[in-house]
Amino acid sequence: MPPRLPGKLLPLSSLLWGVPSLAPRIAARPFGIRSLNPPKPSRFNVGPGLPVLESTSTAALRRKANSLPLRSGAITTKKGMTAMYDPEAGKRTACTVLQLDRVEVVSHKTRQRHGYFAVQIGAGWRHPSNVKKAMLGHFSSQGVSPKRHVVEFRVKDESGLPPVGQLIDAAWFQEGQYIDARSNTKGKGFAGVMKRHGFHGQDRTHGVSLTHRSAGSTGPSQGGGSRVYPGKKMAGNMGNNQNTVQNLKVLKVDAENGIVVVNGTVSGPKGCVVRIQDAIKKPWPKIAPIVAEPAVEAAAAAAAA
Amino acid sequence: MAAPLVRQLGCLRLTPSIQQPAIRRCISTIYSARREPTPLPSNVPEQFLSQLPTRLKKEAEGPKKIKIYPPPPSSRAACKDPVAKVTETQLSVLDPKGERKALFDYRRNPRSVKPGDILRVTFKNGDPFNGVCLSIRLRGIDTSFLLRNELMRVPVEMSVKAFSPNVKSVEIVQRSQIKRRRARLFHMRDRKHDRRSVENLVDSYIKQKRAFMGKR
Repeated sequence: MPPRLPGKLLPLSSLLWGVPSLAPRIAARPFGIRSLNPPKPSRFNVGPGLPVLESTSTAALRRKANSLPLRSGAITTKKGMTAMYDPEAGKRTACTVLQLDRVEVVSHKTRQRHGYFAVQIGAGWRHPSNVKKAMLGHFSSQGVSPKRHVVEFRVKDESGLPPVGQLIDAAWFQEGQYIDARSNTKGKGFAGVMKRHGFHGQDRTHGVSLTHRSAGSTGPSQGGGSRVYPGKKMAGNMGNNQNTVQNLKVLKVDAENGIVVVNGTVSGPKGCVVRIQDAIKKPWPKIAPIVAEPAVEAAAAAAAA
Repeated sequence: MAAPLVRQLGCLRLTPSIQQPAIRRCISTIYSARREPTPLPSNVPEQFLSQLPTRLKKEAEGPKKIKIYPPPPSSRAACKDPVAKVTETQLSVLDPKGERKALFDYRRNPRSVKPGDILRVTFKNGDPFNGVCLSIRLRGIDTSFLLRNELMRVPVEMSVKAFSPNVKSVEIVQRSQIKRRRARLFHMRDRKHDRRSVENLVDSYIKQKRAFMGKR
């Protein structure tokens, strides 16, 4: 793109030689970095009968619609691992035991107010004297007890918003359905490149001294700009970052004790907070409100036939 | 504007006439009784009430009390150890009478299997496996034991899950002949201590058993 003259100089020519514009000129002083071509929504480009523009929030929500669960998830605590046997087939399955504790719907996020649909879920209990006043007021206004953990679960639309204060117990999940488990991995502290990124390190011998586990060179010489490129893998803090394990099968549900047993492993140490929600890469589980829709479709099909 | 705006710098000079005050006793060291707080006027006009500090306000005018709602019943308190709970429900299906558990609970049950015993395991598909028990790993549902034998002159080891539905039966063929002083007999892998094949012993046990049962 050829360099452009600053915006102020352009109207000068039109003032001198062209027809002066009727619109009043507002002398705005520019600050910071601004786009040379700021997006200008045209009012002739949007409307009820026109396709939705790609750069709008409506289009963003539409793009996400297929990958957003229909209903909320739950906050659980990882309690440990054990195994389940299938008594007939004799197959042993390693499993993780998760427990739900006083999981309630705290609040809603709506498209109208917040730009997206989400359910704010709280779990556990915290003594009111240990809760900040702002949060205490939030819990109080919603009519729920002070919660230890509060997180949001995005849902597709308003049909996935359960009433505020509804208790979400283990029976929210069904045996045999699939979930995604989201939690923080075990923290490994400040780790070297061999542990953190799987570098090979350097030789034990052949003249190498004191740098057997170090990274070596971090970039090319003058030809490469004499700098270290952004994103260069180096030593640093490892672990304690969020990880999602997808498509874990729910093996067992015990609503009385709030236990959900899922297949396989979940990131993080025992006692860590695990957020579970319907798996986005599997068919949505058949639950009561969702069962109603195929029934309606079937009725419509029957009416058509 | 008659007076000159700029004064002479000399006015800043310290003259001997300005003397430092004599050292006096610091006022804080003198005891003085605490001042009685002035009582509020009884009839404070309403527009001034909001200006009062909160500690002086009456209850009704104080900060709004936040209503705290009680928590629902806790499932965490109801079940302190969910992993044990899951294990328990599993064992109630896999080992309803608790026989298998007692058979391998060598810390509490004196009649249980001990390391060094010769065992015969029959699986659900009918295959047997015999061997010396090298170790018992007590891990709830994952309790397992390690058997060592020699088949076709090749040493073989097999770890068997005690509660697996594939394990039909576990028999003690022969108790350990000597007093074992350790729980893991991994030294039996060394040539010096190797028990070698236990097949002959198991065969005679089966013959004996059949005679005892009245078959043949």
